[in-house]
Parts: sequence; C-alpha cells; structure tokens
Amino acid sequence: MDKKMSIMVVDDEEIVRKSLFHWFKKYGHVVETASSGFEALEKLVKYPFQLLFVDIKMPEMNGIELLEKVKTEYPDTMVVIITAYGSIESAVKAMRIGASDYLLKPFKPDHLSLVMERISVQKRLVSEYNYIKGRLEKITRFDNIIGQAPVMEAVFDLIPEVAQSDSSILLVGETGTGKELVAKAIHAESRRSHLPFIAINCGAIPESLLESELFGHQKGVFTGATRARKGFLEVVSGGTLFLDEVGEISSKMQVDLLRVLEERKITSIGSREPVEVDFRLISATRRDLKKEVAEGAFREDFFYRINVIMIEIPPLRKRKEDIPLLVEHFLKKYSQETTKKVDHITHDTIVLLKRYDWPGNVRELENAIERAVVLSKARTLRIEDFSFLRSSTIPISKPLSLRETEKNHIQQILEEYSWNVTQSAKILEINRVTLHKMIKRYNLKRPENSS
Amino acid sequence: MSTDKRRIGIVPFGEVPEIALKVIAGHISACFHLPSQILPSLENPEYAVDRGRCQYDAGIILETLESMSFKDCEKVVGVLDLDLFIPIFTHTFGEAKIGGQFALVSLFRLAKNPDGSSPPSSLVYERAVKVALHELGHLFELLHCEDKRCLMHFSGSIEELDETPLYLCRYCSIYLQDELLR
Repeated sequence: MDKKMSIMVVDDEEIVRKSLFHWFKKYGHVVETASSGFEALEKLVKYPFQLLFVDIKMPEMNGIELLEKVKTEYPDTMVVIITAYGSIESAVKAMRIGASDYLLKPFKPDHLSLVMERISVQKRLVSEYNYIKGRLEKITRFDNIIGQAPVMEAVFDLIPEVAQSDSSILLVGETGTGKELVAKAIHAESRRSHLPFIAINCGAIPESLLESELFGHQKGVFTGATRARKGFLEVVSGGTLFLDEVGEISSKMQVDLLRVLEERKITSIGSREPVEVDFRLISATRRDLKKEVAEGAFREDFFYRINVIMIEIPPLRKRKEDIPLLVEHFLKKYSQETTKKVDHITHDTIVLLKRYDWPGNVRELENAIERAVVLSKARTLRIEDFSFLRSSTIPISKPLSLRETEKNHIQQILEEYSWNVTQSAKILEINRVTLHKMIKRYNLKRPENSS
Repeated sequence: MSTDKRRIGIVPFGEVPEIALKVIAGHISACFHLPSQILPSLENPEYAVDRGRCQYDAGIILETLESMSFKDCEKVVGVLDLDLFIPIFTHTFGEAKIGGQFALVSLFRLAKNPDGSSPPSSLVYERAVKVALHELGHLFELLHCEDKRCLMHFSGSIEELDETPLYLCRYCSIYLQDELLR
C-alpha cells in the first residue's frame, strides 16, 4: 500500500503551516496549507485530501467547527486536531466528533511520527474495509441476489456471459428462488440495460387480457377498449421482456408468441398493420416444461424457441450455506425499513432456520424474517420468534394425513391472528361459519390467555 | 556538474568543538563522496532566540543563511551547540528543507543519554555525523525512509538516533547517485 498521503495543514499561524509543510514534504507527502477553515473547505472541494491537521483555535471558524463540517461532507477524510496544553477537553470533544487523533503543541518530533504511524494503520484498515466491502458487493452482486454457495456461483458466472447475446433464456426454478432478480441482472448486464425491462406474470393474468397486454389493441375492438393501447411487446422497444410463469400460457398464445419471435413483428388486436418489434425474451417457469413437451402439454417448437439457453436457479434447500448471509441481509433490510432495532440473531436460531426446508425458498425466508422483526420485542431474534415455522421444522416421524394437515394449518392461522375468526377466515379464504364448523370438528381450543 | 565541484561547506556558529566539524567533514567525503570544507565561524544566532522557550528557531537561522553568500559551496551545513526548535515541535536535532542549500545540526541534545548520563565524546560525534548526513541527504532531495536500517530513517529521539546506521539503504543510495549525476 502506498504510504504517501495528501495532507492539508489548517492553521492561522503561518509559522505552524510552514513547519508542518516542510516536515511532511520530507516524507514525500502531497502537502497543502490553508490559513482558515473556509479556505480549507474551498480546497477540499477541489481536491479530496486524505488527512487534515487542524488547529483547534482559529478565528471565525474554529477547528471543531471545521472538523464537524469535514466529517459531514467528507467522512473518509481523516482529521488530526492540534491543540495547546490545557485544552484537553476540546481534544476529547474532537475525538468524539470523529477526529482520528490529536497533538498537544509543542510536540516532540517522535510524537508526530507516532501519530502518523497510527494514521497509516487507520488508512490501511479503511483500505482493507473497502476491499472487503467490495468483496461483499461481489457477494451481493447483480441487484441483491445474495449467495456464495457453489450452485449460485455457477449462476453468477452465467449471467454476464448470457447477457452479451440476444438469445432467449429460460430460467427454471421453484417459486421464490429469485428468477425475476436473475432476469433483471441479465438485463442490467446486457447492452439493452438502458432500455425498458418489462415483467409480466403470465400465470396471474387471464388469457384474454394477456393477449391485449402483450399485443395491444385498437379502440373499440372489445367492450372496455375505449382507447387504443400499445402492447408490452411494442412498449418494451429494444429492452427485455420477462415472461414469468411462461408454462401457464395457453397453446394459442404460445403459437402467437412463437410467430412474434420468428418474425419480430406484431399486429395489435383489431389492426391489420404489423409493427416491428425488438426485444430480448427471458422466460421463467417452475414447471418441468421438458416433461410437459413430452406429454404434449406444451408446444415443442415454442419450448425450443424460448429455451435457447437454460439457467437453473437452485432452491434454497440446496444452498443452505447461504442462509446466514441471507438472514443477515434481510435483518438489515427490515430493521431499517421498520426502524426497529432488531439487528441480531442467535446462533441457535440460525441452526433452526438451516434445518427448515423452505418450500417457498428465499421469498419465504424473507417473509419469515420480516415477520419476526416486526413482532420481536427484543433486539436479538431468538428461536421463539420463529415459532410459526416450528411445526414444519421439527422432524416429522410419520407423514401427516390431509385431515391432520388441515387441522394444523387452521390451528396455526388462528394462533397467528390471536383467534380472530373473521381475519383467520379471510386468510383461509373460507367464510366464518365454515371456520367455526372446522374449529368444532377438529376440537380446536383457544388458549386461555388468548383474547 | 562534476562531484569535485559539489563542495559542501561546514560552518560553525559560535563555539563548536573543532573535532566535531572535522568528523562531519570526513564522513561527508567518506559516505557521500563529496569534497567538504570547514568554513570560518559565524556568531551565535542571537537573532533567532525565543526567550520564552530559551531555544533557537531553526527556521529563522536557515532564512538568515539563505541571505548570505557562500562561494564555492553548493550546500552548507551549519553546526551549533545550541538548543534548536521548529515551531510546534519541542526541539530538533537538525533541520533542512528538501532540495535546499542549507542545513543545521545541533549538538546540544546529543551530548546526553536518555537516562541523563553523559555519553563518550566519540558517541556524541557519531550522533552529530548521523544528523549532519541525514540533513545533507534532504538537501539532495532524499526523503525520510521507512527502512530503519537507513540513514534517512527519521529519528525523533536519541535512542532512535543511536539505532540509525551511518549508511544509506540500497534505494536511498541510488536516489542520491541519481541526484548527484543530475
């Protein structure tokens, strides 16, 4: 590491500025001087000095005021306060504000050397921190996809490679594994990154609406089409179209999309004029489309068109080593979002979370952490905060019947909502009467302390 | 400029043991391979005394030297038996500006060991030589060196000065040669 630094000496006394200027020059540092805090701030705008030696006693803006401003505007700039004997109190105050060190003048030459050594150590630590931070950013690279597990490394390696081509990509993975994040990352790494990224969840939109959403329509072609509307295939113009749950689209829609992919033209509903379109297609599915093709449930030609490159996103249970990292990330995220100071988790809890299979994958883990943070009354999350996971975490000796599963689930929801039948029924998507019947049928009992 | 023309002047202020001057001159020739010459003595720099500190301001003395003419000498090392200081520092064993013409060496604090005892005169002269050569190094653009086994390593105390060798490290030797060949 280069030990040469850029230093500014800020002192209203010329003799002090001169002395320190020549002293630092002897070490080969880049040295500048300023006779006031204002001059120092002006010079800092032009050049980001790494280290400031600031006299505490200066007219107009004293050293403490300058220190405060520097630490606010240039937090990476280190400041050493120079103070006279008898003003230790100010020196202590300076250290509290963020000064790296202080010198009582006149100081012995070797004291200054010692301070410089300490500064050098601090600088090294900051460099190391930045290096580690950079590595962490590498870990969380590609827009918040977090993971260090080898299976994720393989995905990370593929992203920049496939981003450079225009080939269609099929992302395969269970629900909640982060397929959309990977799609966004590919888009961000591609030459289309400055153009739109449009995500459509094919499974969530009725087929009739999906057609209109993708292809657009002319005014008056169907009831409710009070004005002409461009489809996403046209709106995406040059960007990336992400079709989530592509396995859910109808055979007819597969035919239409196949033609678009081959001809790069669309004709909106009610129009005869084809419009040229340009987009990169990324599709995602949690289904085994290959199997569905073999069974004739999915069009083979469309499958091969969308599946030029396939990327498999592993489920969380296959990369459990990433759980601590993910927990840390979500803990930070939700303690910031909810402004609740919940920023720790016990080791036992991590072990528990690693034992769980996470059928909902990262999304489920995220929801679990959010829920635990919101409900926690302590700063540290403990096993009890994840009691809602417990039933599924504890190894089950024998497979449960449908009846037992239903009973457990109802019990869990009721407990979650403090036995509020209206709310629980809403979550279970049944009416209150049915829920009451089920409570009676399964002989579910409200705990005594439950309100 | 050839090295024989690069004469180094040694100028005493007030009363300075002649043997100290001779030892410094000898080492300049031996270590830096430069001719040296002991110049007539100058008066004690009373103009630089700080009454409050009872010390002499090295900066003021250097400024005075800069206003004087020393014919035939490319660089001049002033030797004093007075307590020197640089403002904001408690004291200094010597002072010189990088690439300057004048350097100062003070014998005042060299004649006492950290424990208060008096060192043999040979050790005092060895210390004086180290300070003189170190400051002369600065005049030839040498910076402080990180290597503790180099004459250009900064010594803030007598202990450190005693640990500093009388020779330059490999890199500082090269830098000095580069500078002398300029």
